[in-house]
Amino acid sequence: MTENTNVLIQGMTGKEGAKAAKAMLEYGTKVVCGVTPNKGGQEVEGKPIFNSVKEALKKFPAVNATAIYVPPFAAKAAILEAIDGDIPLINIIVERIPIKDMAYCLAAAKEKNVRIIGPSSLGLIVPGIGRIGVVGGPLVNEIFQPGEIGVISRSGGMTNELSWQIRRAGLGQSAAVHVGGDLLMGTTYADLLRLFEKDEATKAVVIFGEHGGSYEFEIIEAIIKKEFTKPLAIYIGGKFANVFPEGMNVGHAGAIVAKGQGAAEKEKALSEVGVMIAERYEDLVQLVHNQIYAH
Amino acid sequence: MNLYEFEGKQLLAKYGLRIPKGVVVRRGEDAIFAYENLGVADVVVKAQVLSGKRGKNNGIIFCSNSEEIKKAVDELFQKNIRGQYVAAVLLEEKLAIEEERYISIVYDTTTKQPILLYTEAGGMDIEDVAHEKIKKIALDIRQENLLVSLPYARELWKCFLTEDTRQIEINPLVRTVGGEWVAADAKIALDEDAFYRHEDWKNFDARTMLGRLPTERELAVKKIDEGEGYYRGTAGKYIEMDGDIAILFSGGGASIANMDALIKASLKPANYTEYSGNPPREKVYALAKIVLSKPGLRGLWIAGGVANFTNIAETFHGIADALAEIKPTYPIVVRRAGPFEDEGRRLIEECAARNGLTMQFFGKETSMSDTAQVLAGLLK
Repeated sequence: MTENTNVLIQGMTGKEGAKAAKAMLEYGTKVVCGVTPNKGGQEVEGKPIFNSVKEALKKFPAVNATAIYVPPFAAKAAILEAIDGDIPLINIIVERIPIKDMAYCLAAAKEKNVRIIGPSSLGLIVPGIGRIGVVGGPLVNEIFQPGEIGVISRSGGMTNELSWQIRRAGLGQSAAVHVGGDLLMGTTYADLLRLFEKDEATKAVVIFGEHGGSYEFEIIEAIIKKEFTKPLAIYIGGKFANVFPEGMNVGHAGAIVAKGQGAAEKEKALSEVGVMIAERYEDLVQLVHNQIYAH
Repeated sequence: MNLYEFEGKQLLAKYGLRIPKGVVVRRGEDAIFAYENLGVADVVVKAQVLSGKRGKNNGIIFCSNSEEIKKAVDELFQKNIRGQYVAAVLLEEKLAIEEERYISIVYDTTTKQPILLYTEAGGMDIEDVAHEKIKKIALDIRQENLLVSLPYARELWKCFLTEDTRQIEINPLVRTVGGEWVAADAKIALDEDAFYRHEDWKNFDARTMLGRLPTERELAVKKIDEGEGYYRGTAGKYIEMDGDIAILFSGGGASIANMDALIKASLKPANYTEYSGNPPREKVYALAKIVLSKPGLRGLWIAGGVANFTNIAETFHGIADALAEIKPTYPIVVRRAGPFEDEGRRLIEECAARNGLTMQFFGKETSMSDTAQVLAGLLK
């Protein structure tokens, strides 16, 4: 996400789509147009609506990101349209997309080297530059300011909450990304850590993780391979969930109780490669703060 | 949603897998009558549960006559199999087993595609099978045709794709002495997000994995998110627990962090509940009312992070409506921030004053976990 990111919104004429358009524009993001089938010719927030992504790209070839705000049963078609149009960055806010549809889209995206953030993702923000999606909501300027800490979270609310804790400690964020809580994630913690490694503004990263799934274990591999070398602190929620039987879902869709994938097990594995473990989420900031300024 | 073995097998049979001849006996039904009608002397009686290792926990009993059947069925219905409620038992012909294999299709989070797992060491837990003995075949969800010659692989793939499953596991897949392949077990999980493509899913009995039947409150909360706008703001999550602190959390991530914080503060949750995605006032009201209806409550914790776009005033309106009706006498601690936080705070504090409630409100200057400690302090 840079000053040159030109965003298309699919489903911009819907209630949530229109709200997102407003939120992005108010933060200075270049939202250039929208797409809603059969609503071509309308306008939202002064931006033109097209019937298809193809039509939109013909008029606005500079579009290089799309945010998708459609009902779950229409998501697959919308995502595939964006992939067909070679839009390199897709943010999917849609929740409850059937996993089969999502797997289909992720396979198609991989072939074309398209990055998907989500599904079930409120988006991402680069403070002072722009945001895709509604991270920060209307209070964005009370919570975000340009700074040195990267934020990654499985939870949209906690993306904001962690960013607030950073701000409260007098620091700022280099970027904050809500990766979404589904079992299949388009962009994972490890993918983002590799990007934060290259980003000069980022001095340290904090992560809000959850029980269930195996994505936290990919972090270990990235650290061992030295693909990520900056200070990293993580909080993993869901220790209470071990009172529930295996296979049960508690929290987000991907937070499934499973042997070897509990919060405590993940913490142990991560601490062995030097990741700092926070007992409470609000301790994350202090942990990375100490690291950055001890050097 | 996890299926019981007998439901999973019926699904597999639709795709041409051979399943053992059998009959389901629910609680209160006549097992001996069912056995006699089945017309097979040697049978295996299997407890029907949603999770866990049945064989190792005496959930499977072999029988050869009516007396043994009665004893076995009574015994299984009195049991909890690793905390799992036994909803029914399945009586099945005993197979003459030549060999046992394992086959499953699940989603792999590394490739983000389905993967087929197969081993000749069937009948045991897949976790206990040596890695090199497991054949792993990466699949592509876009390819309907499967070029794999393992027994039943094609049928399973067709079932996986058509039925919107998240997981299919057959363990053991049995080859009988007669040389036939038979699915001797079935563990299938359906993807509930695909419900709109499967009218027939409505016919499944209500279930929970909590070792008991779903409670009335749990069933009532589930209904909140049904209907046309099911994806627009959710308020349909409620798991009843043993404690006495009522919970109204907002946000999936905040909810699990807060559960951990609550337990750290030595408090015991009466429920796990979470609403998120900016649900309307009516949904939150319905949820709050049910949460507060549980007997024996000693406190209420309403907590969420700094919301992105959930309207605090709108959602708190729903909670205030329920509070005004029920007028709890126990302490209430609130921690919340986000859009329309001032209005939300004002209306819920006014509701507390009007109804003589004991309430402490915190905004974003206090962390969520700290307010768990505040509630613990009030209850001392």
